Amino acid sequence: MSYAIETFSLTKNYGNGRGCHDVTLRIPAGEAFGFLGPNGAGKSTIVKMLVGLTSPTDGKALVFGQPAGSVEARRRIGYLPELFRYPGWLSGEEAMQFHAKLCGMKGSTAKRRINQLLDEVGIGQRGRDRIKGYSKGMQQRLGLACALLNDPDIVFLDEPASALDPVGRHEVRELLQRLRKEGKTIFLNSHLLEDVEQLCDRVALLNNGRILSEGRVSDVLRASSRWRFRVGGMTPEMLDWLRETMIVAVDIVPMENSEMPAWGEHWLEAGLAEDEQVGYFNRLLIEQGMTLYETQKVKSSLDEWFLQAVSGLEHRGENR
Amino acid sequence: MIAVWMLTWKELVRKKVTLMTLLLTVLFWIAFYFIAQSVGASVAQSESGIISLDDLLERFRGSAILLSIGFFFGSIATGFLAIFSSVAAVAGEAEHGVLQSVLARPIPRTRWYMGRWLGFVTFCLAYALLLFVSILVIVTYAAGAHPDWSTIGPAFVLFMSPVFLMVTLTMFASCWLAPLGNGVAMVMLFGMSWLGTMLDRVIATGMFRTDETTKASDTLEIVSGLIRLLIPTDALQQRMLSELFQVKSLGGGFSSRDSLGYFSVVNPPSDAFLYYTAVYFLIFLAAGLLAIRRKDF
Repeated sequence: MSYAIETFSLTKNYGNGRGCHDVTLRIPAGEAFGFLGPNGAGKSTIVKMLVGLTSPTDGKALVFGQPAGSVEARRRIGYLPELFRYPGWLSGEEAMQFHAKLCGMKGSTAKRRINQLLDEVGIGQRGRDRIKGYSKGMQQRLGLACALLNDPDIVFLDEPASALDPVGRHEVRELLQRLRKEGKTIFLNSHLLEDVEQLCDRVALLNNGRILSEGRVSDVLRASSRWRFRVGGMTPEMLDWLRETMIVAVDIVPMENSEMPAWGEHWLEAGLAEDEQVGYFNRLLIEQGMTLYETQKVKSSLDEWFLQAVSGLEHRGENR
Repeated sequence: MIAVWMLTWKELVRKKVTLMTLLLTVLFWIAFYFIAQSVGASVAQSESGIISLDDLLERFRGSAILLSIGFFFGSIATGFLAIFSSVAAVAGEAEHGVLQSVLARPIPRTRWYMGRWLGFVTFCLAYALLLFVSILVIVTYAAGAHPDWSTIGPAFVLFMSPVFLMVTLTMFASCWLAPLGNGVAMVMLFGMSWLGTMLDRVIATGMFRTDETTKASDTLEIVSGLIRLLIPTDALQQRMLSELFQVKSLGGGFSSRDSLGYFSVVNPPSDAFLYYTAVYFLIFLAAGLLAIRRKDF
């Protein structure tokens, strides 16, 4: 398997306790990888080391087999920094032309690519305007277009949708989905967990500069042991009986008013670790005279996973 | 590197640095023309039209004083232009988030640095050339005397050399200092070089005794020498004036050390000092390149 990114005990020590420590990652080519963590966890530090803006104190990183930060590695990357600005005295088109020259792109190829990308990110003809007149969202779109200019094999995106409105976010998400289908490797650093959930194959959670957890998004979302049961004809006594019999927490899930049926239908939620327990629970419901309409596993969200993983831990990014 | 160089020129034009510099230069030209004209008119003209050697020396003296005034402004203008154009080259641009996307591109950082350096230096050199030529033209036209043409080439090389020094120093310092701090530091350093020349003039007046007990003059000489070593820009200006005011055809009848009063060039640096300046420049250029390679953004 060829890896787009490999890091071996990558460490950056800023001398004030910040940075990252002993980060080892392997990201196969073509994978969309989500990098999560609370503020100040060290996510951007790792991205900066991978794109060559910061040098590691210890360990090493490879991008497509080349040392991270080398010119050869940088030839294959696109990077959208978290906090960036293009010179306001340039037009969007001029900024992209400059970056095209830095990438060694030739005149006509560069021009075609620039026009195509400006259209794709929704800037279009406004690319001829000076950047100082762009909104924050437009600057973000320009940054994304610039990151994709050299048709990179891997794109590092540090909070790509942070300044965008919902329409912009949707468009960026679609663009990233398209890149993923084209086989590009995506390294997404984002607080918008919904975006990560929809786009990424795998995620890693960083806290205080160390990898806390790592896994496939599908596994993370399946990791929940909570089940829901839509039942009819339930009484409070039956609920107490169920709790005593199963020795697990069984709760009634509040329903939206619009979903509330007239004949006392309820959603029950129970934490059941084994599939056998689910079958047994179903049997009990029916034996007690309730009507069982539907059984489903509760799909957890990345938000829950994130919150669970970091709850109770110290976060150096916040002064508590 | 050429792309970065061209972008630097575009930046200096678009940010109205060129426009404002030219506007203020035009004001200087107007003021300087009137000064030159009045100095030129004050030099006695013989009614027969035959110019005596004394008149010639007087006229040359007048033009030399004018050139000293003109090039004093010239050195300030080019020095400040060199400082303020490059003051935000590294830390300032990183602070604004401009550098992060640029340095992730597949070019060595040293090439980006040299591209910026070339952009600032060539821009300031173009301005230095404009000033140098315009000052000579105004003095020749309005005061009726000009330096020996053979001295112009070496004088221009010396006139533009502070541009190389100040851009190199300012860019080197900008690897660590934010624009405001860097600007203040560089202006103070640049200003300090005038102090060295001023001390030389004070020493030359003989106001301070040099007997065994006080040795004030020795101390001033040491301080002046150290300042010159720390920042050689005004020393180069003094050498430039001394080159420019050499008039071989007058057979030693004119001396830039004694004939110009307050504007006398009392202690022009030696050739060895010029070599020192070249090494000084190369060290700071190399240090800047090393710093940009190692800097974390």
